[in-house]
Amino acid sequence: MEGVKLTISLIIAIVLQWTLRNVWEPLAYIDLPLIIVVYAALQRNSIRALLFGSIAGLSVDALSGGLLGANGFSKTIVAYIVCEITRRVYMDNLILRIPVIAGACLLDDMIYYGLHRLFGQPPGNDVLVTAAYSLIGTTIAGTLVYLLLQSLSGERTRRKKRDVFAPRRQTRRRNPIRLGK
Amino acid sequence: MVERSQKDVWRLAPWLMIALLIVNFVLMAFDAKEITSGQRVVRSWTQTIADFVQSPVTTVTSAVANYFSSISNLRSAQTDNDVLKQRVQELEVELKQKEELAAENTRLRSFLQLKETSKYKILTARIIGRDPSVWFDSSIVNRGSLDGVQLNMPVVTDGGLVGRVTAVGPLTCQVDLVTRNKSGVGAVIGQVGESNALGVVSGTSKGDLLEMRYVAGSVAVEVGQAVFTTGQDGIYPAGLKVGEIVSVVTGSATTPHQILIQPAAKLNSMQEVGILLYEAASREQFEQKLPNATKDVKK
Repeated sequence: MEGVKLTISLIIAIVLQWTLRNVWEPLAYIDLPLIIVVYAALQRNSIRALLFGSIAGLSVDALSGGLLGANGFSKTIVAYIVCEITRRVYMDNLILRIPVIAGACLLDDMIYYGLHRLFGQPPGNDVLVTAAYSLIGTTIAGTLVYLLLQSLSGERTRRKKRDVFAPRRQTRRRNPIRLGK
Repeated sequence: MVERSQKDVWRLAPWLMIALLIVNFVLMAFDAKEITSGQRVVRSWTQTIADFVQSPVTTVTSAVANYFSSISNLRSAQTDNDVLKQRVQELEVELKQKEELAAENTRLRSFLQLKETSKYKILTARIIGRDPSVWFDSSIVNRGSLDGVQLNMPVVTDGGLVGRVTAVGPLTCQVDLVTRNKSGVGAVIGQVGESNALGVVSGTSKGDLLEMRYVAGSVAVEVGQAVFTTGQDGIYPAGLKVGEIVSVVTGSATTPHQILIQPAAKLNSMQEVGILLYEAASREQFEQKLPNATKDVKK
């Protein structure tokens, strides 16, 4: 069920990425497929995350003026690194996920730009400015999307939250009077 | 369905990653080669599929935007109407004069037995998609090979030059704008045949401005002068307006001018464009190859 939900989210993200720039130019700075790829990687299913990274990247590349495969390459690497981090560090808290999405966005942009330079097709945009706007847009949008996805995941998440944030069992204090006794 | 343990998944992941990276890298290598040499097949077919999503979305969003803009435009409609009526009368007079000139031109051509080297029609197209990546600025329009569009055909608006077609699917095609830093347009400052300020116009990283290179420093150049295509680059026909000069750093006898140009076409706000069904006249064999580079062995 989780897989179906994520696949649908990825398809919606790709379609929105294809169309949102038509509606309002600055929306292009939000990398919606990357947000879903990182979310998939945070679920500790590395195979799904890697496949999502490649498919999402290639779908964006196909309609872009850039190199076909550059986004696929960068998102696959990002998915793998986030998976490895998630394997070692506990990442179920939303506060911890915000720097992860920010770092993933920055890494994705750097790899994408580097690949285009490598193949002699550097983008005309100012790298720092574009990467900065992309970082801000994707991090804010990513936080909102994660909140939405968590609220959609329903009972399973609530159960998980209950387990994680369960109230501490109060140990009975010893009676000092009895102790004195 | 085979259930894999978490350990198997972790073991498999690096190999899957390497395989996916290789696939993406090979695609990139092929695409980098095809950018200059020819049709980008995977891209054009994906665009055709995406067209079924993009076209309805663009239609809906533009309808909503047009509705609101039409409300705001109603205010100035009366004034515009008076101005336009006057303009129509002026244009009618101009048209009469131009018809006479065209007829005279035809008579003179037939007299001199000149033939047109190339003829082209304009195919109007609607922009249905913009580049989903923020790094590039290509556009996707709703005309493809079924409408007669071919690779490298020039794209214009009423303002001036927009770019060229870089990938063609059956229903859609991709247009690379002149602002892309890899683009190159053979251009001249002033009218073709009247000026010797020739150069190459390409995109810059400075927003939407273009740069004109290789204009000799000894030629007088001023801000505000118009720049037109020369037709010598084998892609664009001569006489298309590229833009106007907004900045000049004057060169010397040995260094060229540094010229920045504001594109004539409104590249950020355009909704419709025209594709010129133009094929540049084929060059002679000796122009395509250097004489000393040919390796034909005559026996």
